[in-house]
Amino acid sequence: MTKSLFIRMLLCGALGLMSVSARADGMVVDKVYHPYVLPFEREVEWRLLSRQTDDRNELAQRAGLGWAIAETVTVEGYMIGERDQDDNFDLAAYELEARWQVVEQGRYWADWGMLFELEKRHKVSAYEATLGVLFEKEFGKVSLTMNAFAVREWGRAIKNEWESEFRAQLRYRFDPAFQPAIEVYTGEDFVGIGPAVIGLYRFAGQRQLKWEIGFASEVAHSGKDHSFRLALEFEF
Amino acid sequence: MQVTRTLVSLSVTLYLFFTCKVQAIDSVNIVLRNHLFLPAEVEVPAGKKVRLIIDNQDDTAEEFDSFDLNREKVLFPHRKSTIYIGPLSVGEYRFFGEFSPNTAQGKVIVKESSNAP
Repeated sequence: MTKSLFIRMLLCGALGLMSVSARADGMVVDKVYHPYVLPFEREVEWRLLSRQTDDRNELAQRAGLGWAIAETVTVEGYMIGERDQDDNFDLAAYELEARWQVVEQGRYWADWGMLFELEKRHKVSAYEATLGVLFEKEFGKVSLTMNAFAVREWGRAIKNEWESEFRAQLRYRFDPAFQPAIEVYTGEDFVGIGPAVIGLYRFAGQRQLKWEIGFASEVAHSGKDHSFRLALEFEF
Repeated sequence: MQVTRTLVSLSVTLYLFFTCKVQAIDSVNIVLRNHLFLPAEVEVPAGKKVRLIIDNQDDTAEEFDSFDLNREKVLFPHRKSTIYIGPLSVGEYRFFGEFSPNTAQGKVIVKESSNAP
């Protein structure tokens, strides 16, 4: 490992630590985004997030439809459902997301992308806009992916404020169907770490099914706080 | 305070991005014709970044795919596409075309620098 590489790894670690803080709306564990876009890509996606604490179990699901609108830009729309305080599961929010692959994969020392999100809570005046930096670096068969987000929340039903969030995934590309990983999530008063498995199965042509299963345990506080996530993505 | 942290994070990120030096990179040319990669096997030196330049001479698009190389790239018809690979360890790395997986197959053979062309 060269000195400059080591220094850059340290700086990237610092980037992650500086981003430690928060998103106010609860579920921090979600998906670690990769900075890559394929032209012609279309996908349907379903994600499940479950968080178990001493007090309650939070549940959220989202369904999305995405497509590439340019060689390096893809957009995706989501409907988000959450379980409310009365244990009813209902539509909670809508989200529009755009991901931009900034550099050609492998051309520079690391790969970079950007993420833009706009979310509106259902039936209430609460908005959230996110600007994210996506990073990925290969070390042989290991890939390090990091996401740093700046979030602005506003509306009559929510406090106007800036938040930030950080996600990281260290993945070993063992086999297409089985890629074990370790993930780190930080958010408001939350530092979670845990294992994950990523895999994909190819059908004919451009069709493929990707899956991600992860479990993160909160490590900064005492008490129970476990999160489970599952994501299925069908590209066609 | 959080805004400051975010701005510092973004500044560090931009610094890292713009201070990355681009090194001289070897190029390897491949032609895709009649859904065949020509040549189907290419040799590259170990430990170096290499640029695969693939000239898709077919009338249809193809998608270069390689789990070994960790690359996916759409090859537009009648256009040259560039795929950056490596630095790689000595070994063989398979790739194929997703739309013609039975014919469009190839292999990158990585050899020690003194043995590679």
